[in-house]
Amino acid sequence: MNRFFTASLCAVALGAVAVQAQAQENPTLTIYTYDAFAASWGPGPALKEGFEAQCDCEVNFVATDSSIGALRRAQLEGDDTSADIILGLDTATVGEAMATGLFVEHGLEFEGLDLPLDWTDAVFAPVDYGYFAFVYNSEIVDNPPASFEELAAMPDDFKIVIQDPRASTPGLGLVLWIKAAYGDGAIDIWRGIAPNVLTVTNGWSESYDLFLSGEADMVLSYTTSPAYHLIAEDDDRFAAARFDEGHYTQIEVAGILSASENQDLARDFLAYLVSPQAQAVIPETNWMYPVVEPEGGLHEGFAQMIDPDPALLLDSDAVTQNTRAWIEEAFSALR
Amino acid sequence: MKKPSQPFADLSRTGLPDLRWRPGRVLAGFFIALCIALLIGALLAALTFAGRSFATTGSTVADIGHLVRMSAIQAGTSTLLSLIVGVVLAWSLDRLRFFGRGLIVGLLSSALVLPSLVVVSGLIAIWGRVGWANLVLAPFGISTGASIYGFWGIVAAHVLLNGAFAARVLLDRLEAIPPEKLKLGRSLGLSTVQRFKIIDLPAILSSIPGIGATIFLLCFTSFAIVLVLGGGPANQTLEVAIYEAVRLDFDLGAAVRLALVQLVVCAAIIIPASTLTPAANLFGRRSELHWPEGMLVSAVQTVLLIGLLACFCAPLLAVLLRGSGTAMASLFGQASFWQAAGTSLWIGLASAAVSLGLAIGLGMARSLQRRNSPARMILGVPVFTYLAVPAVVLSLGFFLLARFVGVGPAQAAPLVLVIANALLSLPFVFATLSPPLEALAARHTKLIRSLGLSGLAQWRWVEWPLLGRPMGYAFAVAFVFSLGDLGVISLFGTSDFSTLPWLMYRAFGAYRTNDAEAIAAVMLIVAVVAFVVIPRIFEFLTHARD
Repeated sequence: MNRFFTASLCAVALGAVAVQAQAQENPTLTIYTYDAFAASWGPGPALKEGFEAQCDCEVNFVATDSSIGALRRAQLEGDDTSADIILGLDTATVGEAMATGLFVEHGLEFEGLDLPLDWTDAVFAPVDYGYFAFVYNSEIVDNPPASFEELAAMPDDFKIVIQDPRASTPGLGLVLWIKAAYGDGAIDIWRGIAPNVLTVTNGWSESYDLFLSGEADMVLSYTTSPAYHLIAEDDDRFAAARFDEGHYTQIEVAGILSASENQDLARDFLAYLVSPQAQAVIPETNWMYPVVEPEGGLHEGFAQMIDPDPALLLDSDAVTQNTRAWIEEAFSALR
Repeated sequence: MKKPSQPFADLSRTGLPDLRWRPGRVLAGFFIALCIALLIGALLAALTFAGRSFATTGSTVADIGHLVRMSAIQAGTSTLLSLIVGVVLAWSLDRLRFFGRGLIVGLLSSALVLPSLVVVSGLIAIWGRVGWANLVLAPFGISTGASIYGFWGIVAAHVLLNGAFAARVLLDRLEAIPPEKLKLGRSLGLSTVQRFKIIDLPAILSSIPGIGATIFLLCFTSFAIVLVLGGGPANQTLEVAIYEAVRLDFDLGAAVRLALVQLVVCAAIIIPASTLTPAANLFGRRSELHWPEGMLVSAVQTVLLIGLLACFCAPLLAVLLRGSGTAMASLFGQASFWQAAGTSLWIGLASAAVSLGLAIGLGMARSLQRRNSPARMILGVPVFTYLAVPAVVLSLGFFLLARFVGVGPAQAAPLVLVIANALLSLPFVFATLSPPLEALAARHTKLIRSLGLSGLAQWRWVEWPLLGRPMGYAFAVAFVFSLGDLGVISLFGTSDFSTLPWLMYRAFGAYRTNDAEAIAAVMLIVAVVAFVVIPRIFEFLTHARD
């Protein structure tokens, strides 16, 4: 019996070795991204269709668990990587991405973007953007806090769920948000809100699930999260709490790998990605703001979202240099 | 003629395998052990090697001593409570007969199938702020508040998962007590305590080290539960710290070093558990003989059983209720669901078969070695080692290995998943199969040798029929465990290859909570069905050939 199994194991292993990646004849543009972007309900399929109609090529989205996961995979693969583009890194992680030395300049000019800043990055192209915010259920919470100081002053049984800054982009976004708003006073804010933190989950999904099942009064998410409930579920109970300090900006980006053999094609894709045609796909699949206004504008549901003014964003070099110290600062208050 | 319980008493303590009887089986066992050791070594080496070529921008893992201490305290507490709960549950279930008992027994281990995230959400549905418990307590002005978060929340979730598993394995051991033994005990008029000490304890003792070690390792390396219920950085495990370090810093060298720390700590549990296993001498068919306790004890057992089962079943019921209804109907209309279900099913079956083969191979070889000999340890340690390696190290290691042998991630993903799941469920399968294999060797070797049966005939006529029940359960455990495991393929991901838990996580990550809850409910149903049906199939197969 066991000999049989051992033998079959070997056979299976050898068989797998024999299977080699197939050579492609038409150029294939391979894009590593996070799972929700490539999923059937995400922007991936429509973007693939849209670009294939104009490029005489094939677009292949490869999903990993996260954008950082996509970056790490390309890093492990090095020069052999099949990826041409990595899509989904954000303004807080581009520093880490630059440090890998894997990317080349895109050589594109982006003008007239709807971003809260001038886009001058020579390596990464913007994909979409949003603002971090705490989301609450208006049927349960009557008077949401309007600032971090008000949040800190809430009674201890007012609970929020946040995400681990080491694993989740909103989690890291909160660290940067508080830092951008309070600078050296950030540690006091963290100490103030620590009793209200129900738990720190690994990913956004776990947090959001806890919030939807009523475990917490607010969840760290995006200003546009209520738009999903409003548009896709026709449910207007959810709202984002507007904070006086402003809201931290997350811009998702895409970059071309220097190991890519299809750099021209990749450049065309980035140009397509920032076109109104491609951007029209983003809002109701990725639930973020498009970087240029699509024809016909946004679904009216987005107009009901809060105004994040002032939109906060820290310099990306400062972020890369200080991320670990700032995370440690936040954790020292939470411990 | 040697005594059957100690067939090779005169062998020196060299650690060399004893090859004088069934050398093929012994060598096969050692071959499996070697393969597992090589695989783990290769995974770690791949990571160390790759780690040298990447500069890291920093490291966030501090205070390893504290992390190890916290993890050990948490895992120790969880293991102890799981074992106590398991013994009480098994003892009560063994004595009581009631309608729906088979279903309850099936339900007992099905918590194992669920990705921990689902267990957590079930637990929260009961004990959370707006949970059922608080709905009941509210009129009295009491609330559990946020007590499910933090250290005790983690322990509660672990006991829910593992206590039920322990109970299921121990119940099997109790039911395997030969009827002659029970008849004798009854005619001697043993009291409840005497009966437990003289008849029950020897039957379950041989399973305790295996189950205990498995549970300890699961809790020590626990991940999702710790992250959701932990309440923050105060309650981290080493496993979580390793994950976060790799995630942010990509310091692969540090990840390997931390993984080695974790392996060393876990070795303190693994080595004694795989060396010092008490003898398993009791072995029989499912006993038709039912010998209940007296009125008073039965009443106590009933109360205990109802209390514990309520705690076990309520979270699962909550998962089931949430996921059924319209959400499930819409799920059944999605092609991606059926595709993922098909993949999960065949991966579950394949890895269960591999796991069963590995466990039988190792267990047979081990039962032929002298008690407490180094050879037994060598055959026991690989069973648990895989569980002690951090998942993120496995994931990266497999990815690098696949690249090294030149297999594309998409092609490698199914194979890697089968191997990884088989090795992950190996401790469960081994804990179930090893005691009966030991008992078989101890009881029947003399007879088999005197009859001059070949190895194949021994399997066909002695082991296959007698192992039917434990094999059925072990297969179900491995199948169900693979079904619920998210696995190591997060790096391998492609849009074409998806399993049910993977699909569930994707749905969770895209506001599609209804879909996710429906998938969780489906997995739970499949698990319960598997636990009821698979052991029956094995029992049928083995009995039919009597």
